[in-house]
Amino acid sequence: MVDHTSSAAVNEPGREVAQDGHWIRIVDHFKREWQIYVMLLPMILWFVVFLYKPMYGLQVAFKDYSIFRGVAGSPWIGFEHFETLLYSDQFARALKNTFMISMLSLCFGFPVPIILALMFNEITNQLFKRTSQTIVYLPHFISTVIIAGIVITAFSPSAGIVNQFLQWLGIEPIYFLIKPEWFRPIFIGSGIWQEAGFSSIVFLAAIAGVNPSLYESAVIDGASRWQMMWKITLPSILPTIIIMLIIRIGNLLEVGFELIILLYQPATYETADVINTFIYRQGIQGAQYDLAAAAGLFNAVVAFVLVMTANTISRRLSNTSLW
Amino acid sequence: MAGVHLEGIVKAYGAVQVVHGIDLEVQEKEFVVLVGPSGCGKSTTLRMVAGLEEITAGDVTIDGRRVNRIAPKDRDVAMVFQNYALYPHLNVADNMAFGLRIRRMPKAEIKTTIAEVAQILGLTEYLDRRPADLSGGQRQRVAMGRAIVRHPKVFLFDEPLSNLDAKLRTQMRAEIKRLHNRLGVTSIYVTHDQVEAMTLADRIVVMNDGRIEQVGTPMELFNNPVNTFVAGFLGSPPMNQVRGVLTETGAKVGNSEIKLDAKVNGHVGREVIVGIRPEHVSLRAGDHTSPFPVALDLVEPLGSEALLHARFGDETVVFKTETGGDIAQFSGVDHVHVPASLVKIFDAETGQAMSFGA
Ligand SMILES: Nc1ncnc2c1ncn2[C@@H]1O[C@H](COP(=O)(O)OP(=O)(O)OP(=O)(O)O)[C@@H](O)[C@H]1O
Ligand SMILES: [Mg+2]
Repeated sequence: MVDHTSSAAVNEPGREVAQDGHWIRIVDHFKREWQIYVMLLPMILWFVVFLYKPMYGLQVAFKDYSIFRGVAGSPWIGFEHFETLLYSDQFARALKNTFMISMLSLCFGFPVPIILALMFNEITNQLFKRTSQTIVYLPHFISTVIIAGIVITAFSPSAGIVNQFLQWLGIEPIYFLIKPEWFRPIFIGSGIWQEAGFSSIVFLAAIAGVNPSLYESAVIDGASRWQMMWKITLPSILPTIIIMLIIRIGNLLEVGFELIILLYQPATYETADVINTFIYRQGIQGAQYDLAAAAGLFNAVVAFVLVMTANTISRRLSNTSLW
Repeated sequence: MAGVHLEGIVKAYGAVQVVHGIDLEVQEKEFVVLVGPSGCGKSTTLRMVAGLEEITAGDVTIDGRRVNRIAPKDRDVAMVFQNYALYPHLNVADNMAFGLRIRRMPKAEIKTTIAEVAQILGLTEYLDRRPADLSGGQRQRVAMGRAIVRHPKVFLFDEPLSNLDAKLRTQMRAEIKRLHNRLGVTSIYVTHDQVEAMTLADRIVVMNDGRIEQVGTPMELFNNPVNTFVAGFLGSPPMNQVRGVLTETGAKVGNSEIKLDAKVNGHVGREVIVGIRPEHVSLRAGDHTSPFPVALDLVEPLGSEALLHARFGDETVVFKTETGGDIAQFSGVDHVHVPASLVKIFDAETGQAMSFGA
């Protein structure tokens, strides 16, 4: 194919021909690789329909939106909604809670799958390994509603297993789900319980990719399993850890708000209300679509800045980056 | 003192036995090469010496001490792996220091040891580099360095050169030999490359299918292979093997007779395999040679020598001969001359070498 175009260029030198060559090359490329583009198509459609098209509606964040006038017909009002948000106590609280919950779940939740993967890797009994893996993967496949049901039942003051255990220790039952100070530990803990096992698969795969002769060489050198974990396994999967961390930071503000909506109640808003639940209450329940859109846009911009920053820092420090 | 002694070594994976009882005595300072086709159990045997594989039966003794139940780190061996097994996240110096740090050698001593070994291997200027930034040959040297700094009693090599290109392999081969001459550490070296085996070894162990076929110095194995397998394995190109029948004075192959020095009395009429080394024939008749008719098929010039591929009945034979700078001379060749003293005879049934007591 390349030969064909270059010989054409030789026969008829000149600018036009070179342009022609370029187009011929593109057409040839599509003729050759069209299957790949066909495979790409559903994904592009998905992006367009679910991600790019809704972006059109984002403009209502800068408009005094009314359903009757429509997105295009509503008048522009600049940053008024953002000002309203930033002066609103509820939004400030939601912002703070979002940061608290996401930072805490990053600090506590991120290392757990890595530790799990390292532990699975040390299990030699295959049956035990598979069984325990299945058990920790399982919660991932349970729907959030059921998770919330389990959490509510487990922490119920009368019949919940947690309070029964506390009573057995001689401690008075605690009304966990209406105490603001308990909301974050319960939410983050159940999040870890649900996802840590499944997230460990990525790290297990990375560990599986470590060249086994590195370990053999270390065994001959006299390294213990602990030393091999610290000096071989962890450094070898560090790039994977960093990539996962960047992705995680990008999603930092995407607090799993379904679970919050299912678990929180006005008594715990103080610690539980995050930007997404705020948007939900304002936008869907309060029909303030424009204000909610502004809150959502704010969230997205902060997330974008976070992931860019994380990526840049990581590229500078460890030469690992998403792009 | 630091010899390695294998006695009746067997390795089985479940019900499948892959090494069927190996007996081998490696002397102190000796360089022994295990060679054999892929899958014959060379690596497995080496790894049992290293302690990376459990020994199913038999004993491994290193320096007079039975090590079957001794952990790899306490066997005082160092191993060089085919893929080098360098830690990608550590630089050259740290890679070499890895084993020493684990053994808690004092920092200053580590530093001097590494400087010394890096000097020997020509790695001094690369000490700060990561393995990814080294060439294949340099990586190989780092892997060797990591073994050397430990000052082990025994070096174990598992095909350390097979990831290198041909030229580098030749170069590193010489370097390994020099290093062994200098350090004099008992070494067991696995390869499937017979040239590597011939050039490096004090003694070669030819393995096949989990068994030892023959042990001996390179020239012993080359001159007196005990069976057709060894004969066909060593030498490049390997020994030609053609079917024949013993006669009073030699062996009849096809319509011609190849004279033998030895008297075959008692074996006349026996079916045999006649082994002729490619380099032992000549184009001119000499004393005690017999003409061997061939149908020349292909001439491969190598420079000073050429390979003559010829058909002999339905078998292919290869001969190696001097060109004297001219290969046109071979176009008319229709027979070669085989010296009686250098022909080998193997039993056609068992493949074992036959000797006739001069
Ligand atoms: N874990 C295992 N389970 C079952 N069989 C195995 C295992 N490891 C090796 N084998 C078998 O043992 C035999 C010897 O393997 P080994 O690796 O020692 O061969 P080798 O001589 O080193 O070959 P190569 O030149 O290809 O490296 C092979 O037939 C292989 O299939
Ligand atoms: Mg091998």
